[in-house]
Amino acid sequence: MTVDEDTPPEGGGWDRRRTVGAIVGGVIVAGVLALLIIGLVNKDIGTSIQDALEEGRRPPAPDATLPVLLAADGIGPVGSEVTLSSLRGKVVVLNFWASWCQPCELEAPVLDAVAARYRGGPTQEVVVIGVDVQDLREEALAFARDNGVTTASLRDGEDDVKNAYEVPALPETFVIDPEGRIALKVAGQLTDPEQLTNAIEQLRVPEG
Amino acid sequence: MIRRALALALIALAALPVVALAYTVNDVARQVRCPTCNTPLDVSSAPVALDMKHYIAEKRDAGWTQEEVIDGLVDEFGRGVLATPPKSGFDLIAWIVPALAVALGLAAIPIIARTWSRRTRTAEGPEAPPPSPEEARRLDEELRRRG
Repeated sequence: MTVDEDTPPEGGGWDRRRTVGAIVGGVIVAGVLALLIIGLVNKDIGTSIQDALEEGRRPPAPDATLPVLLAADGIGPVGSEVTLSSLRGKVVVLNFWASWCQPCELEAPVLDAVAARYRGGPTQEVVVIGVDVQDLREEALAFARDNGVTTASLRDGEDDVKNAYEVPALPETFVIDPEGRIALKVAGQLTDPEQLTNAIEQLRVPEG
Repeated sequence: MIRRALALALIALAALPVVALAYTVNDVARQVRCPTCNTPLDVSSAPVALDMKHYIAEKRDAGWTQEEVIDGLVDEFGRGVLATPPKSGFDLIAWIVPALAVALGLAAIPIIARTWSRRTRTAEGPEAPPPSPEEARRLDEELRRRG
């Protein structure tokens, strides 16, 4: 018995199967890698806002539409939605807070003092708005009641706006100019209204 | 007899809601995550986690089922609060991809085994052909000669 060298090896369709297997494997590996990258990109809280401010630029304030948790100063009624870009033309103080955040409790009177200073003007050209994040509604409302909060607040239940503003920890406060650009960011607890009012006064004065 | 059976059935029916609601805070907590620390809620002691555990206990005591409590937390924090993605819509991918990978891996085992087996055979070389009658005769002679 001799081996015929012209006879194709056993399992002649093997090369095709191996190619198909390699393609399927490649697609799966690429898919898993893509999911990992998407996950990492979405999870990452960047520093582009901070970088721009440090370079002396005013980065555009991310826009968002959020439900009203606390109504005040023309923001409301409770349950309605407010789009931040609809506040163009005003200086907006945007403060990220939560009921469980102790520094937020300590800075609440500072924010109320700033709001009171500009409240009641003919055009309400400065508005202080809170953004409640990572919080239960009932707890947030109790916090506002217990601390006599008089400013309006929106609710960001899913952290979308918190992430868009690159807020890694609470509290954090932004001052947004009338053109919708971030002019100032205060990371951590506010201790003095002047931390905000100095910037606000500069923004109220027409440039040039 | 019938009366006794009816009484037992009534007791069992009355106990049903209690059985359905008999869950602990941790039964729900391990199905969701703490939004500030991204760990399962049952092992988190972050301030918001304590608020959430209080919420679960309160709703349970108010007669909510586990599903209703979880739906309530999703309403508060969004679907991202779930410890595992829901088995529907786009999130289904998170369940399908690993299962598919395991199935493909299992299916690949016989193929890989066959490849290895073929490689081993090739390395050993082809099997020697049986001796021809002439060779067999000479072999027998040689063996006889050597005793």
